[in-house]
Amino acid sequence: MHPRPSQLALLRIAAHVEVISLLMLLGNLLTVHAEGVSSLTGPVHGCAYLFVVIIAVREAGAVRHPAVLRSLVPGVGGLLSVRLLGRQNPVSLPV
Amino acid sequence: MTKFLLSVHVLAAILAIGPVAVAASMFPAAVRRSHPAAGAPDNAPAGAAVDGAPAEAAAAVRTLHRICRVYAVVGVVVPVFGLATASSLGVLGDAWLIASIVLTTLAAAVLVVFVLPGQEAAVAELDGEVTAPAAPASARAARLAMHTGVFNLLWATVTVLMIVRPGSTTGA
Repeated sequence: MHPRPSQLALLRIAAHVEVISLLMLLGNLLTVHAEGVSSLTGPVHGCAYLFVVIIAVREAGAVRHPAVLRSLVPGVGGLLSVRLLGRQNPVSLPV
Repeated sequence: MTKFLLSVHVLAAILAIGPVAVAASMFPAAVRRSHPAAGAPDNAPAGAAVDGAPAEAAAAVRTLHRICRVYAVVGVVVPVFGLATASSLGVLGDAWLIASIVLTTLAAAVLVVFVLPGQEAAVAELDGEVTAPAAPASARAARLAMHTGVFNLLWATVTVLMIVRPGSTTGA
């Protein structure tokens, strides 16, 4: 099954949310450590991570696909799997 | 912050799990309608009174499956924000919450292991990708209806647990 462009776009959005929210969490931890930021960004990051893994499984069509294994990497996994799936289906890479 | 997390959790539960429950419940009936031969009386001429109905039902089957697929993924928000809410309230160790987590996991497993693959098989058959199905369409629709019922029952139980919170001092 080849990834449809809309699904790959979705994966790309989730991957960016994943990495940006992690950077926000770490930045907050190292600086002001505001509790509100942590308890808000934490679940957002968790959701983004799970979205990335689920969309990667669906688009790769198999659990043991390299794109899925990459998506499991914390933080940058989404971007890695977007790169791999985008390379396999270059038509859907408008960026 | 707890109120915001709880709002997201409840909103997501209503908007994501509601559509899955409704669409999954309507799915088996739509599958039956899309196979006119199975339900039609023997003396009725094929497709006489319900011309085009199977095609309409087939479109409904695809749409209902799409709703289930998409909103099942959106449903991930519910447990994630639920855990965040529980952690913020300090009730993560409570028995009613642990029971809810176990039942939610079961419900998710039923959805991912039985309901969605069953729907996929039905859609694949409509698309003509399956030449020799293992069981008649009506039998598989009935099994799918049972799995969907189990899923809905589990979710209803979790919802009631969330409201009653047995053993909790803040319970209703």
